Amino acid sequence: MSRIVSTTKKPTWIALAVALVIQTGLISIQARRRIDAGFVRVWVLDSLAPMEKLADRSTFGLSSVWDRYVALIGVHDENQRLKHQADDLQMQLQRNREDIVELQRLRTLLSLASSDRGKTVVARVIGRDPARSQTVTIDKGAAHGVKPDSAVITPAGVVGRVIHTSNFFAIVQLIVDSQSAVGVLLESTRRQGIVRGTGGRDLDLDYIDDDNDLKQGDAFLTSGLDRIYPKGLPVGVITTIGPRRGLLKTVQIRPSADLGRLEEVICIIEQTHVDVVDPGQGTSNP
Amino acid sequence: MTVYPLTRASTLGIIGRFALALVAVVVIQGILSFRFKVFGYFDLPLIFSVYYGFTLGNPVASIVIGSSLGLMQDSLSGAVLGANGLSKTLISFFAATAGSKFAVDQPVTRAFALFLFTIGDGLLVTILGLMVGPASGAIYSGALGGWALSAMFNTLLGLVLFGYHDRSGNAAT
Repeated sequence: MSRIVSTTKKPTWIALAVALVIQTGLISIQARRRIDAGFVRVWVLDSLAPMEKLADRSTFGLSSVWDRYVALIGVHDENQRLKHQADDLQMQLQRNREDIVELQRLRTLLSLASSDRGKTVVARVIGRDPARSQTVTIDKGAAHGVKPDSAVITPAGVVGRVIHTSNFFAIVQLIVDSQSAVGVLLESTRRQGIVRGTGGRDLDLDYIDDDNDLKQGDAFLTSGLDRIYPKGLPVGVITTIGPRRGLLKTVQIRPSADLGRLEEVICIIEQTHVDVVDPGQGTSNP
Repeated sequence: MTVYPLTRASTLGIIGRFALALVAVVVIQGILSFRFKVFGYFDLPLIFSVYYGFTLGNPVASIVIGSSLGLMQDSLSGAVLGANGLSKTLISFFAATAGSKFAVDQPVTRAFALFLFTIGDGLLVTILGLMVGPASGAIYSGALGGWALSAMFNTLLGLVLFGYHDRSGNAAT
């Protein structure tokens, strides 16, 4: 590459000073929160995310061509096996349908609220954070009703919450991000606590009423007390319980949702307000 | 000063190509990090900031490139807006200064610089995030290991990309 040699040092210092002032100014107004600098993010996100989406669609298209036309070796045998499996599943589905009808009837009888989480929108994950913090970009934004603090989930469990939105895209902070915290309750004992992201693959238990009866494999659900995540969603399962650090044992939790393989997520854009007081809480505590 | 239309058109063309390349770098980083988790350890914007700082011979252009790359990186992530921008601005400035004072054509020098710049970038972005972001009791003990790993990955990829760029640049001239 040809080198363009600058003749004087002065413009360099001016350029550096201007760039530093702009960047420091952006940081400073975010810290003081007097001026909303979000418009810069909205502009850049709206400009770059469509390209990210296009690239994602292209790679998805290429992989789908590969899957459909190239990688077909041994498909006949697999097809036979899957047909048998489909027959079995069809029968199981029929049984499940009957169970659902029965469940709905029982729910009506018991006057329980439906398990509807509120108004949701399905979004596709189109990119991961290029700056190494734990965020992903989804292809739904303010125009679809997504707003900051909207909960993002998969059928397996909680994924995170929306932290920035542009018109057609949003950035989701995963629950494993070091700045993330989720109000939880232990499924077995209904004790309430808080789990925090570590920036790695797992979550840390930050607080719980009583940690004496915790054991490996115990599942945590959302408590709904943080007013972000609806109550009762799977958060994670205890993988390791270590020695006490301060008042609490060190407890590591593996998220229920596979955050490394997110493809499509559900964004809860309007929650149905549920009573967050847990009926089992009073009875289980000694 | 007389501005010749042809010269202006070619300058605009160069700027346009550079802008497209910068956008492509950030988009590719986002897509690859999503598809392949290991790519989260790479920092293409940093590698390109350093490369252009070393080779462009124009500190002002290097600063603009680093600053833009960082700002785009911040906008596409949940990071504090300006954190990567500030870091990449400084990195591109130091790289441009080093490029004008020292011989940075040697792989060893480049590897050393990439390693140090990655560690510095991680440190600065984390400090700025902690200063500006919401208070958190997060544990940062694993951060140094992450930066070291990232620095090694960046060094390796940077050397490959620098070599490729140099070869394609020489072939073009």
